[in-house]
Amino acid sequence: MATVESRTAYWEQAKEQGFDLSWLEKLREHVAGEGVEEQSANDTGRVQGSIPRGDVARFGAYTFRTKSEVWAHNLTKLYEEFITRQWSSATDIPWETIQPLPDDIEAAQCQLATFFTQVEFIASDVPGRFISTMSPDYQEVRLALLAQVMDESRHLDVFRKRALANGGGLMRMIDSVSDVVGGSTDNAREFTEFSSRLHITGEGNVLTLFRLGEMMAYNEAEKAIYRRCAQDEARHVAIGVLHLRYMNEFAPERRDEIHCYLDEGESRQATGAGGENPAGQSQLTSGALAMLLGGGKDKVDEGQKILMAIRQRQTKEYFQRLKSAGFDDRIHNGRVNPALLEQYKAAA
Amino acid sequence: MSERRSTALKFPSVEWFRALQELVNEDEEFRRLGSIDAVMGIKVGERVFVINFEAFECTEVTEGTEYDLIDADFYLEMTVEQWQDLVTNTRENNGADLSHTLNTLDLMIEGGISDNATGDQLRADVFFRVNQSLQHFFDSSARLETVFE
Repeated sequence: MATVESRTAYWEQAKEQGFDLSWLEKLREHVAGEGVEEQSANDTGRVQGSIPRGDVARFGAYTFRTKSEVWAHNLTKLYEEFITRQWSSATDIPWETIQPLPDDIEAAQCQLATFFTQVEFIASDVPGRFISTMSPDYQEVRLALLAQVMDESRHLDVFRKRALANGGGLMRMIDSVSDVVGGSTDNAREFTEFSSRLHITGEGNVLTLFRLGEMMAYNEAEKAIYRRCAQDEARHVAIGVLHLRYMNEFAPERRDEIHCYLDEGESRQATGAGGENPAGQSQLTSGALAMLLGGGKDKVDEGQKILMAIRQRQTKEYFQRLKSAGFDDRIHNGRVNPALLEQYKAAA
Repeated sequence: MSERRSTALKFPSVEWFRALQELVNEDEEFRRLGSIDAVMGIKVGERVFVINFEAFECTEVTEGTEYDLIDADFYLEMTVEQWQDLVTNTRENNGADLSHTLNTLDLMIEGGISDNATGDQLRADVFFRVNQSLQHFFDSSARLETVFE
């Protein structure tokens, strides 16, 4: 077995024989800085905090290399929450509790499961695009988004499994192919645009739908799916609120631009344009939702009443997130969507 | 939920919530649900309790005042009767039935049961982020002998 003495002798002999080991000293000198650079010069895929090496091909060419474009405080803590609260569609869902359901109920469950599968496909696909174009120096943001992709993959998987588990199968896809419940997510080219649309508008609305899930579940498996997914979704919303809060504080010159993203999201949230908000009105998915909440195709009206209350709740939580992020001026200055304002007042 | 504890505890009281604290801190299933960093306020009628969670444990239970709710991430508020209904239902069903889960109560009781005292939804959202741990915390009360004031 090598001893400390023999190892020391080995390295001393190696040095005498011409090996330059001075770079090892850099390890002692080098301590990863706590601060994050405002501008990242990292084009090479060098992991945050590691020692740079010269003459490396600039294969990264990252689009996002300015801190204020992507940053949010406290994402490390949120990431810890992400990784300790993971679950598995294979072992945490009591699939054996699913029993044959009336045809109308099964069809409605499958329609919603199809919708959620589609939504989660977009919600996992789009963040991935941004991760790969962001400087590695912004590791906290990358980790949070990677963890989100992991969550969304599980959702994609679990709703697909539910659609296929009880004889119904995947149903018709929604009209929009690029949106997540109010946000034109797939069209976003800029990180804040993406985060406003996906995390604030889209995920915020999906969170309410997942919370509603246990009330329209017909077995323990469906309850478990929705309960677990709701927790995950709330973490994704937190990424967006933390980012917008940062932007409000450190990039106020972009506030009006962000308001424009919110204008668009609110319009879709209120009208259901694109068909992507089941809590909106007269949608394929809102019909399924009302049927499940009411308890069958002959009780859709009762389901619609619950939906109306849920819409108000969706809006109240959205308005309070605007306040948390520092963008609630739109509620008071007439910019907010009037239909949502009406719902908010009704919920207050 | 496993075996029940025989000493009757009064609800609401610090002792009752501390008994829940003990139960979840020795419960592997609670740990398996994931880390939970939250300060939760509980308002039962006029009485206020503050419950701290750190990492995988419930670390502190105290009785407080309405002012303490300002520092909580979120607080749950119901009338004395609604709380008693929740505790009774949890006991009878060995865990809350569908109409008595924290999530359903929050959706169905007018105005909800959970909020942040300052209107900060980021902190209020912690209720959603760790909801199943909170549900497990309250479901553990099925193992307590509870008497009401």
